[in-house]
Amino acid sequence: MLKHFRVKPQPEQVVPDLGAISLSLLERDATLPFTIRQLNNLPENVKQRLYRGLIPPTLLTRFAIDPIHWINTNKEPRVFLKADSNSGKVLITARNSSDSSDEFFALELADNSLNGIELNLIVLNDPASLRYSIDETEDGQPTMFGTLNRNLKAEEQAFHAGLAPGQVRAGLGVSRMVFEQIDTFLSMLGHRAYFLEPLTYASAWVFERRGFAYVRGHKLMDDIHHEFQPGGALYQCLDDGSPFRKREQAHTVRGRAWAIHDGILEALNVRWDKIRMVKQIGRNAGVETFPQAEY
Amino acid sequence: MTSTHRITRAAHLESLNDFREFIKKQCARVPDINEEFLYDVQLAVDEACTNIMTHGYADLNPGSIILDLEIDPDELTVTLTDFGHSFEPSHTPIPDVDAPIEERALGGFGLFFILQSVDAMDYRVTEDGNKMILTKYLRKQLKENNEDRSET
Repeated sequence: MLKHFRVKPQPEQVVPDLGAISLSLLERDATLPFTIRQLNNLPENVKQRLYRGLIPPTLLTRFAIDPIHWINTNKEPRVFLKADSNSGKVLITARNSSDSSDEFFALELADNSLNGIELNLIVLNDPASLRYSIDETEDGQPTMFGTLNRNLKAEEQAFHAGLAPGQVRAGLGVSRMVFEQIDTFLSMLGHRAYFLEPLTYASAWVFERRGFAYVRGHKLMDDIHHEFQPGGALYQCLDDGSPFRKREQAHTVRGRAWAIHDGILEALNVRWDKIRMVKQIGRNAGVETFPQAEY
Repeated sequence: MTSTHRITRAAHLESLNDFREFIKKQCARVPDINEEFLYDVQLAVDEACTNIMTHGYADLNPGSIILDLEIDPDELTVTLTDFGHSFEPSHTPIPDVDAPIEERALGGFGLFFILQSVDAMDYRVTEDGNKMILTKYLRKQLKENNEDRSET
């Protein structure tokens, strides 16, 4: 789970990986956490019943999807569950058409090596908004959301349309509801926390507002805020050297995020990686590394 | 009635003052807490946070320290949560403060000061972080205050 995270020889009680959850296991201490792998080893109908609790029903009904059957009014499946037996991962996606690019919801949870939970992926897109192909190059190669390669033309369009780096569409504005749902689901499993690695500065800021603290990178976030102040090292790099480095970007979360995506952290001899965040179930850490920020 | 308060800051030395001021502000609302009591709590938190910063997050890109303060009529409890290296307080030697000054080891007084400043200390490694729990009894102080008053 956590690199460099050392635990005591006798950590808190954890459930041994017993394959699937049995009735006798359910009857034991209700505070013992279950793993995703244990859920995935349950029969298909049981899995669907449990994983239904990961998607807010009101989000599905907004798109005329039945929250129980996961079908639309034409009885076409619109929610898809990938939770293979013996796998420690679960992926749930939802879309409002047969076109996979119309996906408005994607969520992947995974076990980590300490029986904790990782949030590997969360996508909350407005399928009615314009799509920007920042996720593939002009010749169709994947960019891994701009981390491996970049489609500069699409990124510039997305930037001017008010999107943050890594976004292919505008957001749905439902992250609060979805994170509350994740908290509820994981507390049902008996977990006290889950972890993620934010893709961008903007997503880290959003996760702060949703109650996350930092396992790694809190000081870096403070340093970034400090260096974006007038006279700071990052502020000085906003010199019109690229379309993503305008002076006014220092004042907004998205502006900073695009400049960082454009490599501005070289000025601090650091890179946007190894940032790791944690959400304590039911608790808000109250972190605010960019006070009174404008998004 | 129990009151709970929380502050989260990055694990770097500039945050120490924020923690001190936060504790001072919350304790100011409790008439039974005197300056000596407050100083002891601030000292223990200072030392514990410094340990987290210098040892817990050593060689790591520092994360957060979450300070939870709980005040009830009997006691004040500070829980410090971090996500760095854990440590085992029972394996940490307590310095010999009675030894001649030239024979004393440099450093190593952090845990000693913490134990001197609070009434109880607990340390746990949990799924949601390493937790150091510092407790200082208010009843004891109230009793001492009353005794002081009766003597004057």
